[in-house]
Amino acid sequence: MSGNDNSGGETHPGLTRLVHAIEDVELGEETKLEGGRLTVSAEEAEGILADSALAQVGVSWVSPGESARIVKVLDAVEPRAKGDGAGGIFPGFVSPARPAGLGTTHVLRGVAVVAAGYLPRAQEGVVEMSGDAAVLSPLGSTHNLVVEFEPSSDASWGDVDTALRRGLLKLAVRLAEAALEADPDAVEELPAAPAQAQDDRPRVAAITNLQTQGTFKDVFVYGSSMAGSLPTLIDPNELEDGAVVSGQYGHPGLKNPTYIHQNHPVAAALRASEEAELGGVIICPEPVDQAQKELVSALAARLCKTCGFDAAIVTKEGGGNADADVALKVDALEELGIPAVGLFAEMGGTEGTAPPLVAPPTKATAMVSTGNYDEELELGEVERALGGERIDLRDADAHEAIELPHAAIYCALSPLGWGRLTCEDAT
Amino acid sequence: MRIVHYINQYFAGVGGEEEAGRGPELREESVGPGKRLQTLIGDEHEIVATVFCGDDYAAGTAEAAEEILSLADEADPELIVAGPAFTSGRYGVACSAVVAAAHERGLKAIASMHEDNPGLQDAGVVPVVESGQTARRMKGTLERVAAAVQKLAAGEQIGEEEGRISRPRRVNVLADAPAAARAVDLVLARLGGDTERTELAPPDFDQVMPAGPVEDLSEASLALVTEGGLVPAGNPDKLESSRATLWLRYSLDGRDSLPEGEFESVDGGFSTVAADEDPHRMVPLDVARELEHEGAIGGLHPEYLVTTGNGTAVAASKHFGVEWAVELHKAKVQAAILSAT
Repeated sequence: MSGNDNSGGETHPGLTRLVHAIEDVELGEETKLEGGRLTVSAEEAEGILADSALAQVGVSWVSPGESARIVKVLDAVEPRAKGDGAGGIFPGFVSPARPAGLGTTHVLRGVAVVAAGYLPRAQEGVVEMSGDAAVLSPLGSTHNLVVEFEPSSDASWGDVDTALRRGLLKLAVRLAEAALEADPDAVEELPAAPAQAQDDRPRVAAITNLQTQGTFKDVFVYGSSMAGSLPTLIDPNELEDGAVVSGQYGHPGLKNPTYIHQNHPVAAALRASEEAELGGVIICPEPVDQAQKELVSALAARLCKTCGFDAAIVTKEGGGNADADVALKVDALEELGIPAVGLFAEMGGTEGTAPPLVAPPTKATAMVSTGNYDEELELGEVERALGGERIDLRDADAHEAIELPHAAIYCALSPLGWGRLTCEDAT
Repeated sequence: MRIVHYINQYFAGVGGEEEAGRGPELREESVGPGKRLQTLIGDEHEIVATVFCGDDYAAGTAEAAEEILSLADEADPELIVAGPAFTSGRYGVACSAVVAAAHERGLKAIASMHEDNPGLQDAGVVPVVESGQTARRMKGTLERVAAAVQKLAAGEQIGEEEGRISRPRRVNVLADAPAAARAVDLVLARLGGDTERTELAPPDFDQVMPAGPVEDLSEASLALVTEGGLVPAGNPDKLESSRATLWLRYSLDGRDSLPEGEFESVDGGFSTVAADEDPHRMVPLDVARELEHEGAIGGLHPEYLVTTGNGTAVAASKHFGVEWAVELHKAKVQAAILSAT
C-alpha cells in the first residue's frame, strides 16, 4: 500500500499475512511445500537444531486424529517467514532486534514446531492428538513437528534451554521459507492499530501480562526478558512477526507459548469484532513483588488513559500469583473510568467447590472464566508417545490411560483466551 | 427420617479444650443443641443418635470422619446433620469432613457453620447453611437448620433462601466461543454500563486477625513452618512442586543448620537457586538456634512443617492451616514463623 490513498481517511502501514494451509505433512529428502503438502528433511532440521549444548536431537511428525500423546511439551512455534517488504522474523533471535510487523509474512497454518522433553523446573504439559481432550489444546488440531533432545553432559540447563529456543525458532522459519515461492491460500491484510478512532466504535486495548520469574519462567520481547520493564505499547503486528517469544515452562494449562503470542487471541477477536476496534497491545511484566505489581498495574492503566482507549481486556500467564496482576490492573483501569474485563482460570479444587481465585478484583466486576484448573479428566490409552516414556506427574507410562487435572493439559485454560473451556454452576 | 447428629466435645457437654483429643463416641439420643433441634424438626423425623468427638482428634486425624460415620452406622441413619460449628475452625473442618464422607456413602447430609469458618470449603457438594458467629446465635441458627433438614428430607434443594452459604459446584464445560471472543462481548456489555454480567463471581475471603503478641518469648516454644517446598535432597516423600495435596514434617533434632546439598526446594513457583544454595532462606534454623542458645526464645519445636504454596487450592491451604494449628497447639507451641514465597 502506497500511503497516498486520498479517497478516504488516513491509511496506515500494516502487515500482509500470506497464509498457506497445510493439509498434509511428511519427512522426506528435501524441505518443500507442494500443493498443501509440507515435506521436511529430518537431516536438515537436525542440522538446524544442532548445538554444543545438545548431545542429540530428532524430529518426527504427529498429526491430528492419531492415537498419540505428546508429553513434557515445552514451547510451540508457528512456522513463519518474511516475504517482500520490511523487517525480520523473531527479532532478537533469528533476525536483528529491530521493530517488526511491516511488509509481508508467510504463515504455515495448521503446523507447529514443538519442543518436548525434560527440563528442570518445567511442569509437565500433555497434548492429546485424539479423543475428547484434543480440543483442549491448540496443538491437538495442528500437524506437529516434535523436536526431542538429549542434553550434552557438560552443558548447563540454561544453555540447553537457549539452544532449544534458538533451534526451534530457526527451524520454524526454515519450514515457512518453503512457502516463499508458493501461492498463498489466503491473503490477509492486517492494518496497524490506528492512532485515533476510525469511527464510532470503542477502541479496546489488549493488556497482555507476560510472566517474568527468571530462568525457565521467562518471556522474551525482541530477544530480551521482559523482567524489570514497564508497560509498553506495541503494535499487534509486532506479535505476528514473533516479537514475543516464550521461555516459560510452568503451569502447562496456564501457558502462553510462542504459538499463542503469534496468534494473539484477544487481538484477533477484537479485529474480528464489528462493534469494537483493536486499540493496541500493552505488554507488561508480572513482577514477583507486590509493590512492583502495583506500580506496573497503575502505569498500564495510565497508559490506556493517555492513549485514549475506551476499554481494556487484561490477560495473564501462570497461576495464582498472576491473578493479582490481572486483578490490580482491572481495578486500576476502573478507577480511571476505563471499563475492564479480566480473564481468569478458576482454581476451585478437584470438586470445583473451593474459592476460584487467589486474588480477586475488588472494583472491577467483569470476568471471563477459562475453566477450573483442578478438575480432573480421563485420557485414554494411546499407541504412540512423544517427548518421553513417562508422565512424571503421575509416575506412569506415557502410553497408559491416565487421569490428569486440566492444569496438565497444554494451554487447556489458555489465559490469553485461545480456548473454549469455561465453568458453569452444577445444577 | 432417621437422623444422626454430629457435634464436638464442647457442645456434648463432656469438656472443653482439655478434652479436645478425645475420640468419637455414640449416644443413642439427642444431646446438647440436638435436643432443641429435635423439637424444631417435629415428630416426622427423629434424631436417633448423636456422635461427638474432640476437636483436635476430629480435625487432626485422617480417618476421623470414617470412624465417626462407622459409629453413626450403628443407628442406621438416613440423614446426617453436623454442627452448627459457628466460627470454630477445627469443629467446622470436622463437620465438613463428616458430611462430605456421608455424601460419599449415599446419605443425605447437611452442615451448619459461619461463612468465615475454614471448614466451609471442605463440604464439597453438601449444603452448608449459615450459622451466627458464636453460640449466642444458636436459636436462630437451629431454626434455619431445622427448616433445611425438613426440606432436605423431602428431597428438595437447599439454596440461598434456606441460608445456604456453600458455593455451588463449578464444572468445566466447552462454551460456544473462545474465551477471547467472550471477553470482547463482555467488554462491550461493560461499556454499555452493565456491571452485573460476569462468568465468575469473586470469592469473599475472610480477613484473618493476627493473634496477640507473645508475652514472654524467652519462655515460648517457637516453630518454623514454610510453604516454600523445602525438603531433604531428592524429595523422598514426593512433595508436589505445585497444587500440593499434602504437607510434611521433618526433624530438626540435633541439627544446628541445614547445609547446602542436604535440602532443596521443590517449589515450582519461584526460582529456587538461592534457596538451594542456602536452605536457611526458607527455614531459618541457623538464627533460630542462635536465639535458642542465647535464651531469647524458650525453645525450638523439634520439627519443621512444610508444603508447597504454588497453585495450591485455597481450600487445601486452609485445611493444611487447620492441621498445622492442631499439631502445633498439641505440642504447646506458642509462636510460629511461616516463611512464604
